[in-house]
Amino acid sequence: MTIDWPDKFAREGHELFLSGLPIALHCHHYNMNLQKTLETSLGSEGVLLLYKAAEESSYAGFTSFLEHHPKIVTAKSKLELASTSYQYCGLGIVNLTKVGPEGGIVTSPHSHHVTGWLAKFGKRQNVGCFFTGGWVAGVLAAIYNKHIGYFSVNELECKMTLARKCIFEVKIA
Amino acid sequence: MAIDTDKIVHAVMHGSRIREEKGIIPLFGVYLSMISVQYYNKISFGFEKATGNDGFAEKLLVEAGQECGYATFQGVRSSWEWEEVVKPMIEDREDQIHCFVSIAIAFGWGDLTVQELVPGKKLVLRATDLYEAKGYLDVYGKADSGKCYMVRGVTGALMDLVYGDDYPEGCFQYTAVETSCVVKGDPYCEFIAQRAAS
Repeated sequence: MTIDWPDKFAREGHELFLSGLPIALHCHHYNMNLQKTLETSLGSEGVLLLYKAAEESSYAGFTSFLEHHPKIVTAKSKLELASTSYQYCGLGIVNLTKVGPEGGIVTSPHSHHVTGWLAKFGKRQNVGCFFTGGWVAGVLAAIYNKHIGYFSVNELECKMTLARKCIFEVKIA
Repeated sequence: MAIDTDKIVHAVMHGSRIREEKGIIPLFGVYLSMISVQYYNKISFGFEKATGNDGFAEKLLVEAGQECGYATFQGVRSSWEWEEVVKPMIEDREDQIHCFVSIAIAFGWGDLTVQELVPGKKLVLRATDLYEAKGYLDVYGKADSGKCYMVRGVTGALMDLVYGDDYPEGCFQYTAVETSCVVKGDPYCEFIAQRAAS
């Protein structure tokens, strides 16, 4: 089953929705500024806040999406849809073909956060895709009917440090 | 010529449906993302709660909003989309502010209106339905102070861009306060930007 994402992107007055979920358009300046502000101010606690916010919002969004599309039943279809939704939201490319209910590896050759961070702040010394890590943890929990926090996602390599691609290891927490 | 908000909203809606091969949305000179408002509210108010509601997070979040607004709308007004869609509507300097507000509406930030604009001196924006205020109310209920930190920062940024020194030297030359907020029980959120005390 394919989803017509543009059809799911709707405006009601001044509000924007993607498949019924309230969203906002923001650019890399704001997203990267928020990340830097939290990292600089709170350190690892700020990183965790970024990760958890992404995990909880992607879990809620994808759970709601799946409820509205009961014909999408197989894990493979759900993973494909998660990947296309990431792309439709302008977040980049995420490869979810090597991950399952026991975990696995997720790769991302391109992302909004990598492009935005490099454009705004340049090369990082450490991994920095906390949004994507949390987003992956949230959608996997939704897909496999697990609770938030069931999966832990750790970024092994990051394009923000000029690695070839971002590589995430997914484990059961 | 009056500013046609519908035309600007339509341009954003149309443009934001276009992806390049990397899954990035390059539009109006910036890279756009579509992310749940829940995410932004969790970050902002989670940050505030984590730092004890002592004004530290508020200050940084307003600054992030202002720096972002300054860079974002500079990117916007330097873009070919601005040149093609927006610039033909602009007759004077003040029109830029109205166009920036139309783009903020198009981005889904809320039902913003320009209530008052005194060139170079004062900008008053109002809204009854901003995602920041709504998100705070939904999770935490009423508060004693305004919670729309991003829009507050952006209000100052619009004045910086139009009346401040040339980019990139003009950021934070204006500063904004949120004088009313629906989280306090007010009927609308109101932001007033004026030149910052030197």
